[in-house]
This record gives sequence, structure tokens and C-alpha cells, in this order.
Amino acid sequence: MTSFKQLEGLCERLYWLIRLRWIAAASVFLTVLLTGHIFKFSLPAFDLYAASTALGVYNLVFFVLLKSIKGKESFVIVNRIANSQISLDLLSLAVLIHFSGGIENPFLFYFIFHMIIASVLLSKRASFLQATFAVLLFSIMVSLEYFAVLPHYCLKKFIIHDQQHNLTYISGVSFVFISTLYIAVYMATSISGRLKQREKVLGEANLQLEEKDRIKSEYVLRVTHGIKEHLSAIQGCLEPVSGGITGELNAKQFDLVQRAVRRTAKLMSFVKALLQITRIKLSKEMKMEYFSLRDSCLEAINDTSAKAKAKFISVNFTMEPGIGPIRAAREYIQETLTDLLVNSIKYTPPRGKIDVGLRNRGSVILIEIADTGIGIPKNELPRIFEEFYRASNAQVAERDGTGLGLSIAKRVVEMHSGRIWIESEEGKGTKLNIELPK
Amino acid sequence: MSANAKILIVDDDPDIVESMKVILESKNYQVSVAKTGEEGLRKVRGEAPDLVILDVMLETGDKGFDVAREIKWDPQYKHLPILMLTAIKEKTGLDFMKEAGDEQWLPVDDYCDKPLHPGELVSKVEALLNKR
Repeated sequence: MTSFKQLEGLCERLYWLIRLRWIAAASVFLTVLLTGHIFKFSLPAFDLYAASTALGVYNLVFFVLLKSIKGKESFVIVNRIANSQISLDLLSLAVLIHFSGGIENPFLFYFIFHMIIASVLLSKRASFLQATFAVLLFSIMVSLEYFAVLPHYCLKKFIIHDQQHNLTYISGVSFVFISTLYIAVYMATSISGRLKQREKVLGEANLQLEEKDRIKSEYVLRVTHGIKEHLSAIQGCLEPVSGGITGELNAKQFDLVQRAVRRTAKLMSFVKALLQITRIKLSKEMKMEYFSLRDSCLEAINDTSAKAKAKFISVNFTMEPGIGPIRAAREYIQETLTDLLVNSIKYTPPRGKIDVGLRNRGSVILIEIADTGIGIPKNELPRIFEEFYRASNAQVAERDGTGLGLSIAKRVVEMHSGRIWIESEEGKGTKLNIELPK
Repeated sequence: MSANAKILIVDDDPDIVESMKVILESKNYQVSVAKTGEEGLRKVRGEAPDLVILDVMLETGDKGFDVAREIKWDPQYKHLPILMLTAIKEKTGLDFMKEAGDEQWLPVDDYCDKPLHPGELVSKVEALLNKR
């Protein structure tokens, strides 16, 4: 589990590095263009363009490579990709530095950035090896320029120049450069090592919490089950009495029995909601199938039509083209849609309006349920998905409610890697949005 | 056809049994009761009921399924309608009695969630008895 998270983290950082490299390649390109045309430096523009193009090309290769191994990646392979990316970056930087002033180029110290990146991505040992590789590249460049095997390019007008044969200067810069690289790697690996350690500890603590939460949910499930069993029997015994099967009741008896029936029914719906959310919490996987969201919406509207009609609320359905079947846990989605619609009807005053819509949003389908109901006070919106939380105006409008409906919906949507959010204005209405991946 | 039909209730919860008995007897059915799966099977063979109402949770969590299977496997009783009392749909979202061959198929003719509403119980019982 932890190693999977580490792998995920490494991949994420590699994508970040790739994004940075696009910027770097473009910056080099622009810098060469500017210095050549505006400042009229005599730089070997062709070589520098070629180097930045190479940077872009291998960046693309790594991007494609990283995408293609998605899913079947192993830590060793991704780690190897990270190492080779950094080595290639060092090589590119060395080439760029060589063509733009060699040892005189203050951009030499850009190697530090690469050392920091290496320390974040790689192990301590690998980071020091990369630092040594950078020192090696630097030494080769300086030596070859010193012995005039390679030409030396000057940044005339910009900084001091023609120092490629000045041994004192070379030794000074080399000492500062090399020591800076190693100190940077030492510091960055220490910090990143500590962070990695803390990440690991947090990961383990999180696993323990999840386990405790599971135990708690199982406890709730057992208790609620026990309550439901007794409640079923109470309801079972009350129903024939209140229904007159056991004989006619007088008015007072009937009234009291009706009260008992109503209260047990409310308790039962609470117990059922609690069972439902606990089961969802405990379920590791749901049975997924392809089905039409349009049918599910229409079924939910149909199932709740009696409740809507009783309050003269009109419920409309619209759908954008291009929405095909979706792969999801049909029963859960169906139930969620029905529950949400019941909720909307409950908190919409008579003669109101509810619009149910399916929108096509590229890789996701957006389900909207917009009502002209009492809305949710703005300061209570952040808490609205909490278990057992009920908005203050909802409690006034409807004394009974479990405060579990929206938390159940949230659980279901999140188990589908979807998103649920609410837009609402008190007194005007509420719009519920659910985004499900196609 | 269905009046005076014999109904066997197999359930170990005496209060649920009593409430069902009251409802069914008010519709003039003859009701007999078994508290365990074994007793249920014995009474199926001994009393030849017209319908069995079977609780899914007998002695163990799902003993009701075993009892249902045993009844349906017996050629003599394979047409005996079984109404299973279970909250399975609420638990799993499965409509389990639809088709033979389905992974979730179970040998019952209909099912009813607890708590039982008198109207629902009577209409299901009547429908099953009329289907025979």
C-alpha cells in the first residue's frame, strides 16, 4: 500500500518535471532568440537551438513512455526513468553552458536546481551519484576548453571573458561550483529524507485510522441490525391493530396507535438510512454494469411523482445529446437519484418546480437537480454533506429527517470517483450537481 | 381457490409470526408455524401446505436458503410456492429470484421485506396462491 503510494507520488513528480522541462526548453529558445537579435551576442545560435530542440524531443519521449507504462509500472522502472531523465538534463545543461560561455557562464549554477530535483525524486545515494556525474561533465567541459580541444564561446559585453585558460579562475570557480553542488544535494536529501519518513509515518497512521473506522462501522452495523429486528416486530404487531384487522378501535385508541405507527415508521426510516450508509462504508467494491442514466432519472421521477403531484410541483427532465450508457453501480445510483429527488420535493414549497438534467461534459456526465425550494443558508453549505447534519431552515420546514440523505449520496458518488456539490441561495432554491465519469 | 388455503410460516421470531398469523387468519387462511428449518421441512412433508412463508434468517444467517433449496429439489414439492422474508434487496440491490441460471438465483417465488405491511403480505400471498 505504502509503496504504491510512493510510486504514485514519484510518477506525479515526474510529470511535474516534464512540465518544467517544457518551460525550460521554451525559455532557452526565447533567450537565444533575444540575446541574438536584441543584444547582438555572438552565440552559436544553431547549436543552442539544436540543444533546446533535443531537450523538447527527449521530454516528449519521456512523456509518452510514462503514459504508456501507466497501470503496469513497477517502482524499479519508474525509478530508472527518473534517473535517466536527470542524467540527460545534466548533459543538456552542460551542452548549453558550453555553447554559452563555459566556465565564465554564471548560469553554471543552474546545476543546483537539478541537484535539488534529484534529491526530491531519487534516493540519497542516487542523488550523490548524479552530483558526481554533474561534476564529471563540468570537469570534462572545462578541461576540453582549457586544452582547446573544444572551442570556447564568450559572452562578450555581458560578463568577464577569455578565462578558459586562466587556471586560478578555473580552480576558484570549480571549487565553489563543486562544493555548492554537494552541499545542495546534502541539504536537499536530508530535508526530503525527513519528509519521506514523515510521509511514511502518516501513511501508516492513516491506514490504522481506516481500520479503526471499519471496526466502528461494523459495530454500528451490528447495533443497527439489532434495533431493526425489534423494530420490525413492533411494526409487524402494530400494523394489524391500526389497520383494524384485530377489530374496530375507538377514536382514542386509534389515535394513540396511529401515533405509535408514525413514530416507529420514522425510526425505521432512520435505521434504514443508517444501515445503508454503514453498508456503503464497509463495501469494498460495488457491482458495476452498463445502464442508461436517462432511464434511471425517469424511473426516479416516476417513483416520486405521487409526492410531487401532492404538492403540485412540476418535475421536468432534459437531456443533452451524446450521452450513452454509463458504467456504474445501477441500484446505488438509482436509489441515490430517487432519494435526492424526494429531498428536493420535501423542501420545495407547493407549486414549485424541479428541473432534472443530464449534461454532456466531455469525459464526465453532469446530473443536475435544481429546485425552487427553501435553499440552504450560505454559512451552512460547507457542512451540508456531514452525517446527521441538517440545515437550520430544513429543521424548521420538516421536523423529521435523518440528516443522512446527502452523506449517503456523497459516499455513492465518491465510490464512483465522481464529484458532488451544491449551489444554493436561501429562499430561492438549490441546485445539486453530480459528476460521474463516463 | 385461495380461501382456506394452508399456509406454513417458518420463522423463529415469535412476534413476527404472531403478527403474520393475525393478518392471514383474518383472511381465513389456515396458518401453521415452524420455528426451525428442520421443523419446517417436516411440516411441509407432513401437512402439505399450499404455500410456505420462509424467513431467510433461521438458526444461522441464511439457513432459509437451504430450506428453500431442499423443498424445491424434491420433485413432489417443486411447485410449492415459497415467499421468502428477507431484506436482501435493500442489502445488496439484487433482484435474486428472477431467472434460473443467474448467479444470484435462489429457489423462491417471491420475497417480502420486513417489516411486513398487511396489505403487501396479503396481496403477495394471494398472487402466489392464484398462480398455482
